[in-house]
Amino acid sequence: MIGVLFRHHVRMHRVPLVPLAFGLALFEWIMTVVAGEPSISRFLGETLRAAPPQLLALVNQDLLAIASPAGIIGVGYTHPFTLIMMAVWAVRVPSASLAGEIGRGTMNLVAARPVVRGAQVAAALLALLAGLAVLAGAAWLGTFVGLVGRPIEGVTAWRYLPVAAGMWVLFASAGSVAILVSALAREAGAAIAWSSGLLAGSYVLDYAARVWPRIASLRPFSLFRYYEPQQAMMAGLASYDVEILAAVAAAALLLAFAVFSRRDL
Amino acid sequence: MPSRPDRSSPDPFPIRTRSLRKRYGRVTALEDLSLEVGEGEAFGFLGPNGAGKTTTIRLLLGLLRPSEGEAIVLGKKVSRAVAWRGEVGYLPGDMAFWPRLSGLETLDFLAALTGRQASARAGLLKQLDLRAADLARPVRTYSDGMKQKLGIVQALQCAPRLALLDEPTKGLDPLMQQVFYEIVTDMRRRGATVFLSSHVIAEVERMCDRVAMLRAGRLVTVGSVVQLREAERRRVIADFSADVDVTALAHFGEITSGTGRRVEMLVAQSQIAALVARLGMLPLADLIIEHPTLEEAFLEHYR
Repeated sequence: MIGVLFRHHVRMHRVPLVPLAFGLALFEWIMTVVAGEPSISRFLGETLRAAPPQLLALVNQDLLAIASPAGIIGVGYTHPFTLIMMAVWAVRVPSASLAGEIGRGTMNLVAARPVVRGAQVAAALLALLAGLAVLAGAAWLGTFVGLVGRPIEGVTAWRYLPVAAGMWVLFASAGSVAILVSALAREAGAAIAWSSGLLAGSYVLDYAARVWPRIASLRPFSLFRYYEPQQAMMAGLASYDVEILAAVAAAALLLAFAVFSRRDL
Repeated sequence: MPSRPDRSSPDPFPIRTRSLRKRYGRVTALEDLSLEVGEGEAFGFLGPNGAGKTTTIRLLLGLLRPSEGEAIVLGKKVSRAVAWRGEVGYLPGDMAFWPRLSGLETLDFLAALTGRQASARAGLLKQLDLRAADLARPVRTYSDGMKQKLGIVQALQCAPRLALLDEPTKGLDPLMQQVFYEIVTDMRRRGATVFLSSHVIAEVERMCDRVAMLRAGRLVTVGSVVQLREAERRRVIADFSADVDVTALAHFGEITSGTGRRVEMLVAQSQIAALVARLGMLPLADLIIEHPTLEEAFLEHYR
């Protein structure tokens, strides 16, 4: 049953997945082109030295990292464009799979069949994870193709594989929270609004905590705190970050299972 | 793949509810519904809008959780296992599909979820005149009538043992309504149980063995169509050869229309003999005593 529902979700969402994946691959490829231009790296380095730290905090990188070709490519994985592309999938699929089906009335047709409620949550999760894997893979493929086509000395695409994996884990966690929201909602619109709001709030909290020392202690409450592309690039994924994001995802999914199994449809 | 429910279940009632109750906050949608529907029976569920018909069907399917009481469908408690749903066909009252999917994709997906062969699909498509070209089109291009036909096919394509049909002929033209009646007849011929809610009383009267009437979430009455009609007041029409004072007959029942030479009344069965005796003393030219139609019985309950 989970397989049937999973294929159904893929069929419902495969059309937007293509432009999202293409956009991400293109963007990361462009970042390799930009990083390969010494004049751009030099110009960026000089510009950033004059930039306020609040602006640098926006891309979650320190100055030295950004000013190198490897750093410029790394910025591609924290750029708002990339994050928004990933967030679109992390919010869209969970919201449509549960609350969207209820709001449209098609949940009646699915839930009246021999399908346990938990299977519906599991199928939504599988569709979320598979799509995020395609998107994170497309982003890395853009980097890979860019660096194969125009090699940069000392920079290999393999360094960005843990970064892409970290991005997948981050949005898998955010998407799991969106599944919980969807399990509680009655319409896709409300689920999208709440999930987007929580994700944006988490991003803003992380940014604000980095530039405003008075609320620095709140940073651990943001999911984005556990996404450190620069560290992943240098030393691989931090197991602590992965564990926290996985714990948030597990808690959200357990709650989603419990809520969705007991609610009226 | 869900396991097939035991067809040799000793429970002779595919549907059984005990003190079923559903509340939404302070609003009671269904109150203390106890009902039994027998194997192979066609059971009609009548009631005005908001009476609780759809709530009952959704409780039977486990889409809603009862506030109190329990529902047992095909011998299984609704709140527990789900495998029994493979033997149930459900047609929702407000038919909604995935707009981008074609009719065929929709049917294939729902049959796969049911976990059984769509053995009745070809016959239903032929009866309802849904062609391959129609099924290849996205459902968003369908008319309301076509959506309703597709809804009927998805509900019955796996030859269910029990069909729960909420307003099944909504949006169908009279020709297709006749076809639907034939489909129900065919289902019953092979022993399936049909539970349908409807506003169309003539349709229920035609298709169903027994009828339940709901009002404001409460069961008003339940019985066979014949029993319900017989339990209601008879319509008495008397013609006289000379003018009479028809108001003198008022204590036998309700005069619905009356002139000097003709009177129409609704009279309880217990008063019939006395009324006939009284009419015999008048210049009676003709006398008709009729059972009410189911529609009249229905209206009696909801006036």
